[in-house]
Amino acid sequence: MKPKIGRALVVGGGISGIRAALDLAETGYGVILVEKAPHLGGVLSQLDSQFPTNHCGMCKMLPLVERDAGSQYCLRKGLFHENIDIRMSTRVAAIEGEAGHFTIRLQKQPGFVDPDTCIGCGMCADVCPVAVADEFNAGLSRRKAVYLPVPHMTPNTYVIDSAACSRCGECVDVCPTGAIRLFRQGRADFGVLVVDDEYTVRDSIKEWLEEEGFFVEAAASGEEALDAMEKQSFKMMLLDIKMPGMDGVAVLKKTMENYPEMAVVMMTAYATVETAVEAMKTGAMDYLMKPFDPEDLVSKVIDVYEVREASMGETMEAGAVIFCGGTECYDPSTGKNPFGYKVFPDVLTGLEFERLISGTGPGGGELVRLSDGRPVKTIAWVQCVGSRNLQLDKDYCSGICCMVAIKEAMLAKERGHEDLEATIFYMDMRTFGKSFQRFRERAEKDFNIRFTRGCVHTISADDKTGKLMVTYPVEDSRHMEAAFDMVVLSTGQQPAGGVDKLAEMADFEQNPWGFARSEPFAPARTKRDGIFLAGSFSGPKDIAESVISAGSASLCASAAIHAAGGGMAEVDGDLPEYADVSLQAPKVRIALCECGATLPGGIDMERIAADLKADPAVENVFVIPRLCTVEGWDMLVEKTKGKGYNRLLVGACTPYVYTRRLRQLGEKVMVDPALMDVEDIRSPAFAYADAAAGDIEQAMARRLKSGLSRLREVDPLPKQSAPIARRALVIGGGIAGMTAALAIADHGYPVDLVEKKGELGGNLNWLTHTIEGYDVRDFFDNVRQRLEKHPRITVYVNSRVVSSFGAVGNFYTTIETSDAPSRTLHHGIAILATGGNEAETTAYCCGQSDAVITQKVLEQKISQKQIDCKSIDTVAMIQCVDSREEPRNYCSRVCCTSTLKHILHMKKKNPDLGVYVFYRDMMSYGFAETWYTEARKAGAIFIPYTVDAKPQVFVGEKGDPPVKIKAYEPLLEADVTVNADLLVLATGIVPALPQSLADAFGAGIDADGFFREAESKWRPVDSLKEGVFACGIALSPRSVTESVASAEAAAQRGLRILSKNALTSARVTARVRHSLCSLCERCIDVCPYGARSVDLDMQKIIVNAAMCQGCGNCASECPNSASVIDGFFDGRMLDMIDMVIE
Amino acid sequence: MAKTSLCDEAEQNLQTSLASFFKFVLAMEDIHALLAPMRLPANERVMHTLVTDPELLDPIDPFAPSFPMNAARLVSRLTKRPGGEMVAVVLRPCEIRALIELVKLKQGDMENIIIVGIDCPGAFKNTDYVEFAGENPETAAERFLAGALSGETKFDGGVEISAACRACTHPVPQGADLSIGIFGLDSDRQFLVSADTEKGKALFDRLGLSGCDVPDSRREAIDSLLSVRREFQKEMMDDIQKKTNTPEKLATYLSGCINCYNCRVACPVCYCRECVFVTDVFDHDPFQYLRWARRKGMIKMPTDTVFYHITRMAHISTACVGCGQCSNACPNDIGLSELFIASASTSQSAFDYEAGRSLEEDPPLTVFREDEFDDVVEVNH
Repeated sequence: MKPKIGRALVVGGGISGIRAALDLAETGYGVILVEKAPHLGGVLSQLDSQFPTNHCGMCKMLPLVERDAGSQYCLRKGLFHENIDIRMSTRVAAIEGEAGHFTIRLQKQPGFVDPDTCIGCGMCADVCPVAVADEFNAGLSRRKAVYLPVPHMTPNTYVIDSAACSRCGECVDVCPTGAIRLFRQGRADFGVLVVDDEYTVRDSIKEWLEEEGFFVEAAASGEEALDAMEKQSFKMMLLDIKMPGMDGVAVLKKTMENYPEMAVVMMTAYATVETAVEAMKTGAMDYLMKPFDPEDLVSKVIDVYEVREASMGETMEAGAVIFCGGTECYDPSTGKNPFGYKVFPDVLTGLEFERLISGTGPGGGELVRLSDGRPVKTIAWVQCVGSRNLQLDKDYCSGICCMVAIKEAMLAKERGHEDLEATIFYMDMRTFGKSFQRFRERAEKDFNIRFTRGCVHTISADDKTGKLMVTYPVEDSRHMEAAFDMVVLSTGQQPAGGVDKLAEMADFEQNPWGFARSEPFAPARTKRDGIFLAGSFSGPKDIAESVISAGSASLCASAAIHAAGGGMAEVDGDLPEYADVSLQAPKVRIALCECGATLPGGIDMERIAADLKADPAVENVFVIPRLCTVEGWDMLVEKTKGKGYNRLLVGACTPYVYTRRLRQLGEKVMVDPALMDVEDIRSPAFAYADAAAGDIEQAMARRLKSGLSRLREVDPLPKQSAPIARRALVIGGGIAGMTAALAIADHGYPVDLVEKKGELGGNLNWLTHTIEGYDVRDFFDNVRQRLEKHPRITVYVNSRVVSSFGAVGNFYTTIETSDAPSRTLHHGIAILATGGNEAETTAYCCGQSDAVITQKVLEQKISQKQIDCKSIDTVAMIQCVDSREEPRNYCSRVCCTSTLKHILHMKKKNPDLGVYVFYRDMMSYGFAETWYTEARKAGAIFIPYTVDAKPQVFVGEKGDPPVKIKAYEPLLEADVTVNADLLVLATGIVPALPQSLADAFGAGIDADGFFREAESKWRPVDSLKEGVFACGIALSPRSVTESVASAEAAAQRGLRILSKNALTSARVTARVRHSLCSLCERCIDVCPYGARSVDLDMQKIIVNAAMCQGCGNCASECPNSASVIDGFFDGRMLDMIDMVIE
Repeated sequence: MAKTSLCDEAEQNLQTSLASFFKFVLAMEDIHALLAPMRLPANERVMHTLVTDPELLDPIDPFAPSFPMNAARLVSRLTKRPGGEMVAVVLRPCEIRALIELVKLKQGDMENIIIVGIDCPGAFKNTDYVEFAGENPETAAERFLAGALSGETKFDGGVEISAACRACTHPVPQGADLSIGIFGLDSDRQFLVSADTEKGKALFDRLGLSGCDVPDSRREAIDSLLSVRREFQKEMMDDIQKKTNTPEKLATYLSGCINCYNCRVACPVCYCRECVFVTDVFDHDPFQYLRWARRKGMIKMPTDTVFYHITRMAHISTACVGCGQCSNACPNDIGLSELFIASASTSQSAFDYEAGRSLEEDPPLTVFREDEFDDVVEVNH
């Protein structure tokens, strides 16, 4: 991939951070990805299964175009992309400047283990005497102070928990590669000058500090001290105040004049404390009172040392910043009602539960009680712990916990005891996402999970049975008590720690709930230009929403960099041209690292070398004492210069397998890095730690021979490249389509926008304001004007797509405009933004009376002032009309908020208005919860109903009330009748995506008529067919702001492709050996990416190399290897297997 | 509802009666050729022959106990690419089922053929047929049917119906447009013509055949044949299971293999243009052989023989129709059909699939089901 101008900073390496970084990197920007933890992945590194599939699938976020620029393995193991500079254990200290030209200061935590040298052997952890709670297992297990932050990372290098580490140095001594640089090495460079006239004082301090590895000099007087400072540089001075001759304060003054960076700590007796305080004003850093405890003094010096190490910051330039700081889980033990958490061992948080049942968890995934180890047979989830709670000042819904609890209950049923009973206690089951309602029903029907409505208020323990007693209110203000083996608290999300400081530092605002505040209708924007938000940093989000918001933020960042002149124009980098060796017989040179004599005795590298040399394909084998040293690397470079070979195999340890160093080496010695490979020969030494040296040596030789087989067969074919049409087609002119069109056109690419109606805007033509009070019409006017004036956007109204063919990069689509000849557009990508409409209904007497209307009609009547709220007494509303039950078994997401919006509006106009809402589950997710609270405060009455007992509606005769609603009221345990002037029905949303249109672009449609995403969580706006995207309501019901986010995300996905002149295939791509092919077409059936077709005229199977993802389905289906994956040729695979099983 | 007609010419025997029938078929204006087993003029061997002149059909001999190859491969050659002319093809049930598999694999097409299936009492191995036919090949079918239809499997000279045929539970054609039935009839001269498809019924009508009911004796004869065959099949599979249920035993069983690849040439559903075992994948470096030999001290040459059969089993066991041609083709008398019929039975039942049953069923490996084989892969548990 050629370098391009422009760089962005992404802060936070969770899902949204990874997504944003990859989006920008794939589009060609440089990215600095900063993560304060020592690993990427955020909370998902701890969660194995995600709803609604209950699988992982994070790998689906990996780049699909220009795959070779990044890693192509499990993202939970790690991420590599040539455009992404990842900085772990790092924080952002300052952001200065303006959009397009920020100066960023990064601060890295001192790292005590060199990741380039650590081989992950774990000998350090074996000897470490410190054990603390392991965050990875949510504290359910213990780890050492030197530890693996995530057990499954690749490469997996140890880190040191500086707060827990006792600095004993045991690990330094055992590390076979000398990777651990506990401060001691650094400390030796950290000079401390001890100035005291009393010999015993200065000498004992010197001794203590030297023991800690510091370089210490002592001076007996002020004059001596000043002399010493001239001769040698010191970082710190411990200075006695009361000394004969020049006193401490005088020395301090001189020192501050000459060495202003010096950290000076005054040593004082009680009598001179005031002087010491005075000295602080002169520049002393602190003071210590005599007599002092050696430990206090030593830790003070260490503190100063570490702060100084840490402040060794780095300054970088970036055009835009995306904050993806995520959230943190509420800790129930801090609340007024801890629900027995940390009191009863069998009360867990959701995260703890997920660790408990994880295969990598503390008990290997066995679902047993922590108190007594007995299997869990009854388990309860308690929802809304730390959410929807006014007392805790958390008047918002965390959005994800209902689905998480259902998922966890399913996992418990699958993995736990066969008779396990699972119960979820909830207030409203918020299944408002795509397919979530059916997920819940599956849990209920197929998994027999019990859903009990009730707000649990007490969890106690029954001492006799050891069970946990859960108390919750039921009808008629009675209480029920139920016994469980285990209780899981569905803890809510709260703003990430440190968000206040970040907000201050980066100058963005926070919303009333403490999350980062985004701008109206611009979910990724903050008030500061160039600073953007993604993921749950701005409010709780699930994975799909986070991925969409990351796309939206990266689009905004890209636009900001582009607008500031750092466009996406390509810079011609000098890519090295390697000689074509495809016609030469393989000649492999092999370099073996001896690992500095740290291998078990008896392993003879020369013997391995001689064994390898027997293979005629091996040109030469040489041994390097220690590759990880500078000398070792230089030796490798020296030994690989010169001709005589065309492939290089390096036998070393894990870190080398994944570094970019082969690329550097390739450029130095002019051998294509694709013809180089590294085989990890170090792992066998600790994998078979107890084995005899001979066995280890054989294991190493086997690996090398297998690597040799692999490398011998590598045949670097030139990559295929196909030019593309850098133009986009957007279908649908609602807010999603308009936003997507503008986003792409703003990057300089022409866009055709096709709208079937005579005017743009879709649902914005009747929406007036949002529940927050933002004016939708102003927003619409603004967007429309920008769109109409945009020189790169062509709008076709009254038009529809007739047909389309082609593939990513080159689609040919014919559109038909009324009263005009049809035309064919050539475009590289397509975005389907076909929207949806409020569903029509005949339920509840709708259509039989003017008194029964839908929410949309109510909104129109309100905006047209056709309703006088003061002249009516009672309004009733029914939610989920024809929704959340078959055949329209999904939540339309926006109706509950609309209902609340209308209630608040009408209540404001007429506070005495009676409002009755019949609902199943109020879906006021996220911050909409606050409006739900407001509506109840304003006096609206909410009455739940169930599908089997829906309210009954009677339209009145003359003289009667206009409409009567009869329903069961569970609190009263009786039927109630409401006489209303108006009944408003929330009918939900139906999609408007015709099958023929989806078919034309090879996109799928789900059972409800919405666009079928490639993957609902990880690729929420993509079609499985590359180059086709969707946004807005075409995906699933969503609000205006959510539509904007998805449109920006879809545009971003499109820009990845449009930003390139041509699409280049990856190295690992399928190919057909036509002379062997029988044209059975089975490969076409099994290709999940639609990358294959048959050309009947040519009698050939055609592979679209840009669409092919190298998954290998075709090659494994093809019986005679007519279909092959480059790099995984059968002969080579057989050879490799043969070598390792030798 | 199938249409059936009984052909019973008092003056003729089965042989001449069949010849008249097929002459009549080939004389139809829209049938341009007939592919059928015929005795060749030179040595009277029975081979499939493509005939356009009805007058040359006298030596047609579909019931001769000769099964030199599975003719599905021939039909594939005639229909793999559009040809335009209509050919009637006379096939045994296993040939039809193999053809159905080949069509699913895009190696043939049904549009321009009329399948005439025949009741199949079985056949001899090639060498046994020559022995049995002896000096009087023209009476071979007659002599064979006389015994086979009354349940005989062993004949003069000690020749026996091949194991694959004795284990075959599909003696009656399925998927044919027209079927020629002989089970349960007076086989000296009678045969039953039935039409099961729209194409077949149209031809039936144009041939002006008169309708009749299927005689009860036919059902009885088929049932009794099937019960014998099933019993033999079970014995055969139990036996092969015992002989090959460890890698060592399997290797012993296959030890006579010389990599001649005759079995794959004879196999009707081994459809690769070139077998992977003769491509560069298995074209090992000389150094490789020595390395293998050095590792174990010795290796059997040629190498890759067990690997070859296991690979073939993996590739075709869901498409295997059990025709037995692999055994027929083996120069070293390895009982391949026993092995392949047993493995095919297991893998086909695992996918609830039966090779050749229906054109509508997709080959198992091209179908993706998320919940498939949970019990085997244990993804969710």
